Amino acid sequence: MSVLVDGVVTGAQLAVLALGFTLMFGVAGIVHLAYGQLVVVAALVASLAAAWGAPMALAAAAGVAGAGALAWLLDVTVLPAVHRRDGEARVLLGLLVTLAVAFVIDGLVVWWRPYTVLSLPVGGSVDVAGVTVRTGSLAGAALALVALALVGVALRFTDTGRRLRAVGQDEVGARLVGVDPRASRHVAVVLGGLLAGVVAVTRGLATSVGAADGFELTVLALVVAVVGGLGSVGGALAAGLLLGLVHAAATQHLGAVYTTLAMLAIAVVAVVARRGGLMETEPR
Amino acid sequence: MSQTTPTSGRVRDGWGRIIAVVSVAGGLAPFPAHSRHLAGVLALALVFAVYAVAWNLLFGMSGQLLLCVGALAGVAAYGCAILADDRGWPLGLAVAVGIVAAAGAGAGLAWLAVVRRLGVLLVGVVTLVASLAFANVLLAARAHTGGETGRVVGTASATVLAHPVGAHLALTVVLAVALIVYRLVAISRLGTAARAVRDDPVAAALAGVDVVRTNVAVAALAAALIGLAGALHGLQEGFVSPGTFAFGHVDVRVLVIVMIGGLGTTLGPVVGAAAVTILDELLRPLGQLRLVVYGAVLLVAFLGVRDAVAVRIAAWTRSARRR
Repeated sequence: MSVLVDGVVTGAQLAVLALGFTLMFGVAGIVHLAYGQLVVVAALVASLAAAWGAPMALAAAAGVAGAGALAWLLDVTVLPAVHRRDGEARVLLGLLVTLAVAFVIDGLVVWWRPYTVLSLPVGGSVDVAGVTVRTGSLAGAALALVALALVGVALRFTDTGRRLRAVGQDEVGARLVGVDPRASRHVAVVLGGLLAGVVAVTRGLATSVGAADGFELTVLALVVAVVGGLGSVGGALAAGLLLGLVHAAATQHLGAVYTTLAMLAIAVVAVVARRGGLMETEPR
Repeated sequence: MSQTTPTSGRVRDGWGRIIAVVSVAGGLAPFPAHSRHLAGVLALALVFAVYAVAWNLLFGMSGQLLLCVGALAGVAAYGCAILADDRGWPLGLAVAVGIVAAAGAGAGLAWLAVVRRLGVLLVGVVTLVASLAFANVLLAARAHTGGETGRVVGTASATVLAHPVGAHLALTVVLAVALIVYRLVAISRLGTAARAVRDDPVAAALAGVDVVRTNVAVAALAAALIGLAGALHGLQEGFVSPGTFAFGHVDVRVLVIVMIGGLGTTLGPVVGAAAVTILDELLRPLGQLRLVVYGAVLLVAFLGVRDAVAVRIAAWTRSARRR
């Protein structure tokens, strides 16, 4: 039972992490290797806002907005050259450019605030189905679930969401029916940035975000997104939940090192065994 | 068709330039005797030059995005340390087994990539994940690897590698071997086949190229070079740790070196390794801001320069799309 509760709490956060990453890839064709750095910047903005005396909710909102703004800024400054290309060339160039961006952000953040971590203190604990869960973790998971639901509804029922899915499925087809792929790709990148901001807040509630966590977060997002099938929204949710459960079970029975190994092994097996499912969403 | 692409069959750097570059590297041999710091810096520069030449063989020539240079080097270095120190094997044999293990791992990954038709991006993802898994295996197998703190490699103290000048010359020889292998592959049928597969696997297969064999052969050769450099690096340092072979330390740096030096050129990786080493020393006072400078340099390399990486990648994939 405790594995189930822990798994869902962790899984909801992993799902949000992967959702932003997979949206950027699925719609915009960009493997955003600075994604973890967006999370760190959101955490930094939120903690600065909190230090200025903003109430917690406002600080969190500022963090989310900050990550979205940075994602937009990057999209209009360094990524246009990537957007101009298509297929595998876009993927490769996007990967390299965002890696360089990740260096720049990492260097600046760690230099400026080497230790600043975002930690949104929520005291106490709650009983869920007989299992004691820290209030902060629970609030983080709840926020993650709300964000997932909002994005899911928006993708399914709004015109913008339909346009995003159309561009993700077939860029040429989308253009033929009057959708501007460039605009949709911008929206996807900014939405991914906002979700990175949500990740910062949920992690801040559950544990903390450190200045140097960017790379680790990017890899985690990549692993979860790949297990779900890069570019697949439903896959990201399922994989987040699955890996959350695996994480909870392995932590309890195997210890930290073997937990990481198990998650990495799942990622390799998923890519190698389920290539067909993955390739469908890969731009060619 | 590939005649028109910037990284076509032209092999720009001939034997003369290779000899010149190796001579310059060898000419630096007296310096390591003067200071331990300089010896370490030069040894690292040579090791990374070899990594970069080998990775350029993988990605630049063959289009295989294997992001596990550190892990392959680590397999050889740890294997060599365990066999020579703990099991008492002769050093030469231990190094050879380490190299074979690295080559086998590289060949296996390349085989998996071709057989499962993973595509460039997924190959990168799988090998990145494999790198991280390797780091965790090192932590898990604490009894043999020393876990997080690493382990001493003692055997080399009786060899030429224990002397700074000897180690420098040995690593220079390895660099020479790497460059010779690169050029031999580049001008051989294997090189032609590798470039053909990179530009368009379907067309290459239709023209009679054995895609599996080509990619696996190139990966095995490159991984063997990486293993050789990694094993010697461990022996020269007398110490190996997960940090020595971490993805963030090795693979990212190799990527920077090759992209700055010139993807798909013979001597570019060596020039890149020298440039990054010098930059590192010059920027040392900046501390964390060094990363910012590297990021900016890479952005310029990717986006600013004509005939830069972007153009090359576009050229490779343009031919693939025409099919």
